[in-house]
Amino acid sequence: MPERTTQLAGALAAEERKLLACVHCGLCLEACPTYVHTGDENDSPRGRLYLMSAVGEGRLALDSRSFTRHIDRCLGCRACESACPAGVEYGQLLEAARSDIAAGGRRQGWTSRALRVALGGVWEHPARLRLAFALARLLRDSRLPHLLLASKLTRLLPTRAELALALLDASRAAEVKVEASGAAGPDGAGARGEAAPALLFEGCVTEGLFSRVNRATARELRANGCEASAPRGQVCCGALHAHAGDLEGARRLARRNINAFRDEAGAPVVTNAGGCGAMLASYAHLLAGDAEYAGRAREFGARVRDVSQQLAATGVRRAGAAGGTAVTYDASCHLLHGQRAQAEPLRVLGAAGGVRLVPLEGSDVCCGGAGVYNLLETELSARVLAEKLRHVRETGADVLATGNPGCHMQLGAGARLAGLKLRVVHPVELLDESYRRAGMYGESSRQ
Amino acid sequence: MDTLVKTLRATLRPEQVISDPEELLVFECDGLTHYRHRPRAVVFPASTEEAAEVMRLLSREGVAVVPRGAGTGLSGGALALGGGVCVSTARMRRVLKVDAGNRLAVVEAGVVNAHVSRAVARHGLYYVPDPSSQTTCTVGGNVGENAGGIHCLKYGTTTDHVLGARVVLSDGRVVDLGGAGAEAPGYDLLGVFVGSEGTFGVVTEVTVRLTPVAPSVRTLLADFTNIDDASRAVSAVIAEGITPAGLEMVDGATIRAVEASVFAAGMPLDAEAALLVELDGLEAGMDEEVERVRAVCRRNGARGVRLAADESERKRLWAARKGAFGAMGRITPDILIQDAVVPRSRLPEVLAETYRVGARYRLRVANVFHAGDGNLHPLVCFDSRDADEVRRVHEAGREIMETCVRAGGTITGEHGVGLDKSEYLPLVFSEEDMRAMLQVRAAFDPSGLCNPGKVIPVLKGCGEARAVAEAKAAAAPAGRHVTEDGGRRVEPSTKASPVAVTAATSGGGDGGRARRFEDFAEIVGGEHIGACGGGGAGFHGVRSVEPGSAEEVCEVLRVAERDRWAVFPVGAEAQRNAGSDDAHRDPVALKTTRMARLVEHEPADLVATAEAGMTLADFNREVGRAGQWLPLDPPGGGRATLGGLVATGAAGAQGLGYGAPRAHVLGMKVALAGGRVIRAGGRVVKNVAGYDLCKLFTGSHGTLGVILEITFRLRPRPRREATLVARSKDWRGLLEAARSLALSQLMPVAVELLSPWRVWVNGPELSELWDEGSYFLFARFAGTEGAVEYQLARAEEVVAGGARGGRVARVEDDAEIWSGLAAARGHERDFVWRASVPPTALGGLLARLPETSRYATHTHWQAGAGDGRLRVFEGFPRSRPDLDHEKLTAGGFVGEMREAARDAGGSLVVERAMAGYRRGFDSWGLADSAALLMRRIKAQLDPNDTFAPGRFRLDTPGAV
Repeated sequence: MPERTTQLAGALAAEERKLLACVHCGLCLEACPTYVHTGDENDSPRGRLYLMSAVGEGRLALDSRSFTRHIDRCLGCRACESACPAGVEYGQLLEAARSDIAAGGRRQGWTSRALRVALGGVWEHPARLRLAFALARLLRDSRLPHLLLASKLTRLLPTRAELALALLDASRAAEVKVEASGAAGPDGAGARGEAAPALLFEGCVTEGLFSRVNRATARELRANGCEASAPRGQVCCGALHAHAGDLEGARRLARRNINAFRDEAGAPVVTNAGGCGAMLASYAHLLAGDAEYAGRAREFGARVRDVSQQLAATGVRRAGAAGGTAVTYDASCHLLHGQRAQAEPLRVLGAAGGVRLVPLEGSDVCCGGAGVYNLLETELSARVLAEKLRHVRETGADVLATGNPGCHMQLGAGARLAGLKLRVVHPVELLDESYRRAGMYGESSRQ
Repeated sequence: MDTLVKTLRATLRPEQVISDPEELLVFECDGLTHYRHRPRAVVFPASTEEAAEVMRLLSREGVAVVPRGAGTGLSGGALALGGGVCVSTARMRRVLKVDAGNRLAVVEAGVVNAHVSRAVARHGLYYVPDPSSQTTCTVGGNVGENAGGIHCLKYGTTTDHVLGARVVLSDGRVVDLGGAGAEAPGYDLLGVFVGSEGTFGVVTEVTVRLTPVAPSVRTLLADFTNIDDASRAVSAVIAEGITPAGLEMVDGATIRAVEASVFAAGMPLDAEAALLVELDGLEAGMDEEVERVRAVCRRNGARGVRLAADESERKRLWAARKGAFGAMGRITPDILIQDAVVPRSRLPEVLAETYRVGARYRLRVANVFHAGDGNLHPLVCFDSRDADEVRRVHEAGREIMETCVRAGGTITGEHGVGLDKSEYLPLVFSEEDMRAMLQVRAAFDPSGLCNPGKVIPVLKGCGEARAVAEAKAAAAPAGRHVTEDGGRRVEPSTKASPVAVTAATSGGGDGGRARRFEDFAEIVGGEHIGACGGGGAGFHGVRSVEPGSAEEVCEVLRVAERDRWAVFPVGAEAQRNAGSDDAHRDPVALKTTRMARLVEHEPADLVATAEAGMTLADFNREVGRAGQWLPLDPPGGGRATLGGLVATGAAGAQGLGYGAPRAHVLGMKVALAGGRVIRAGGRVVKNVAGYDLCKLFTGSHGTLGVILEITFRLRPRPRREATLVARSKDWRGLLEAARSLALSQLMPVAVELLSPWRVWVNGPELSELWDEGSYFLFARFAGTEGAVEYQLARAEEVVAGGARGGRVARVEDDAEIWSGLAAARGHERDFVWRASVPPTALGGLLARLPETSRYATHTHWQAGAGDGRLRVFEGFPRSRPDLDHEKLTAGGFVGEMREAARDAGGSLVVERAMAGYRRGFDSWGLADSAALLMRRIKAQLDPNDTFAPGRFRLDTPGAV
């Protein structure tokens, strides 16, 4: 019986106890989209944990090809955490492993290098980031990607480039006409009694490409008796950094956010992006070793909730009768497995009038988006996505709702490239539309 | 890259082969992490054909093979020893066929257990076996391990839910074991394959039996402050005559670990034990049963008994139970999860001993287990980084095993022997027992390349090697010499194996020694030799020996072996069938009828052991005193001996509800050729220690040995039994009604359709119903008062439609109907055959029966509408012994019916025929691949072909 040793260095070493919690029972295997597709246990959570242990035992080199390859191929969806009876905190171990790999210096591929440059040089600088997104919007709103995709000229591009264009185009708002009996606007009248304060975390991609979702979130919160404001000085949550193994970058961003969201009264921090929410909630873990911030990070993390959780907690107001458009819901992995918001998004959709909810088989399985995974591990991502689209097709739904911008773009782009007519929305968009139709934003703000 | 890997890559696609040592790391262990053996490569075939290619290649290269499913096994079974190659089924994930009408599905071996149920849920069906890892583990792996789960108590284990398997043998040959019918002719090869842990071959496709989802389920959680009370409550529930679908115990330490995990279900944290009791069945009578369980628990000291309020609470409770093992990871870095079975009545003392052993070795022990089956899972917590602790864990594990065995139990109930337990196997099996297992293994895998080093312990060094060497020698043309008596034939082919010892000589035994029948008289006493009676075919006048003890049987067998007698074991001659065994040398019938003692009956365990010569009726009278019975009604009925009904293996009408004999046999003692006595199985209801040789002897028709003693699993007598009888001139309408009954949510124990003249049975109610030209439908219901009443009422509605103008009546005092049906033998000159097909094919066979009337003076039949059994009696005028016999035989009508049965996935066997018919006709119709394996097994266990030579026609390869 070989002995486990503690040769781990760096981030993984700090997590060794968590690694030991895995008893190798294998209940995680079928929860893992990459294992289901490859059948290779190296591509399963149990297998990856085993590889991490092997690195710890000195039986496998940190920079070995198999280690980096299979850690890279993880979607980071954390579905395994929901399946794990031992409560292994896989997501944190994965980030540690990626951090160690990054520190070890061996990263293959220009995409990974480009990503790291972007994360450090752009994402940590709000002004540069705003500029980047402005340019992206300019391109998107020029409808050039749309036309290129429609003309099928993009088929001539490398798969990744075509996908990138499709992803960008998928963030465009659908042209939906809402017969508003009330008007839209962040200044819509509060609904019931005294408004409770909430702090809105806008998120870089959401604010950059889906600002409409942030505005709708604010309107709905107000209509449900909650006054949301977006603190200045907030930055990217750091999820992309952490997932890419740049834990230091993530920590820098986390500290800035904790400062920006300081609130004596402890107002909830509301997000509408599953990826951001899960990251914000895990600041406590991220900064556990930071003497100055550890306590504050715990306090901050406890205040984080998804917009659906916030709305469901106070009892979201209904707008109109159910039935009408067939809508299906695909869970954002980090919303589901990271923030454990399972029923709440469905409750939000249930409150939206004119919606007939159709269950989606495998809605708890990753769509293959996983941040920038779709651009890094394009082939495996495409297989995971194809399975997802097959189930979506089976529902016959016209609209798919999902609570994270990455998933939103992945599913939109996937449907687009597969020729599936599907409108992808954030649940709050549907609720917002139904509130507008029902005139629930009040007379005062009617335009 | 080594050349083997290169060839593998060329044979499959490169991405179907993993050979990078770093990527092979994760395959070095399964769910049990403390053994590590890295395979030389892992291959991922995508089909049976690809798997066969791989196996051919590996056998050519002499490389060992280890099948692997999801790698969740807990005995180290999926590890490749000695540089073997791992064949993974992870890419064989297709559900190939769902046949709701026949309640079966065909799936590839890599299909996840839980996915089978998901795929058939819309038909209201599910796949019963549910090991804790069911969300991940594969059906193929389940077959390999004979996986259990939490619902075995009522429904049995994997072996009871698999109808067929496609298997690739070590040489790449693809064989189909079992089939789509309930009964396959010949040895129960599937039964012995299930649980063989990858040492017989690689399973690639499985035909699974599906079960209707019970309309009503209740789950109770009873918590106790004293674990002994909980154990006693377990036995008390069973003693009440209740058979819960699941009856599980979780001890205090486990409760606290689970409640801290994602699977928290609200079990009381301060309890020392909790019982989870699941009842399922019809809604009618369910509340009554719930109250009985509640009362029993309370009486035995339960502090609280909670009924799960809804489906979600129920699911949470079971998720907590199934997640328990993993949840222990929270409190310990490593766990040794033990698996042992003890008789239920011994639970309190054995449980207490597990904690004592833990304390003695300064180890934390927790228990979470299948209490209803007596299947313990002591979890021993440790840290593998502490070498001393590892040593103590090992010693404690062994002590716990020994405790269980001393209590009459076995060393594994569901996890398998694998690598981990083989050193414990000698605790339950003798060297002879294990040698027999090795011989069977060598029959399936003469090369010894399938999962070597597993299951049978390191007598293995010699034993395994020896059996394999013997098989190799036997398979080689030159290895089989003509013996000095000149009576043996050299087997011409290497494929066909070596049994074929049809000694034609009648003159002499070894070295010209004269055979003296009187030798037997010296052993058993002159008053116990005689001759078989008349009345049946074949054996009339054959001299018989009737030993009075196992020792005498052995002595007789030694003489028979020495003097080359052909031995035909017989019981009450209730089913003396025949099947082509005329051409044999001097026969002697070995009658077991003097060995008729009930050896042991422990009512609390629902287990009894008896000698083989005891009749079913006597046995049931004895165990009936405790309100229990062996619910079998084989052809021959109550006068059949236990040995006879097991050796023939046939199910009767109530096999639908209670299962065939194979499902009831827990263990046996068998005398093999030359008087070598072995034991198979054990005395507990769940047992996967070693190979399931009980399955092999059950249905072997006396060709492998003489069954001496059998241990049965019993059932509580139902509180009420009643039969619904319908009569009609139109069999099609009745069949339709019978099928509706079988497919309804009702749970009849028998649904039997009978032709006119088949109803001999008399009873007050029946004689009133009697009508000469009518077909009859008999449906029997058994259970609690309320459940039977409800079912009769519902069944009346269903049947009234199908009986179309006929009559429907209830018969309350129905025992005679069923015993009469089983006992009916037809006319002694009747030609009797039976078919087993998927039930939907029954109508097609029945429709063709009138064609026989061209030959026979009468044809009556009896058909099991629920399980597709058909038994046909054809009569011929005494005056015309020559009449068109050939038309009935292979080339004729029966041959055509056999083809029809086969086309439907079933089989046909001739049960009884006049001596004249049998000559030149194959009663069994074995598939070639089955015959091959049977021949090899026979050659291993009965090398001189002493037992029932000629039966099954193993000596004529390819005969149809």
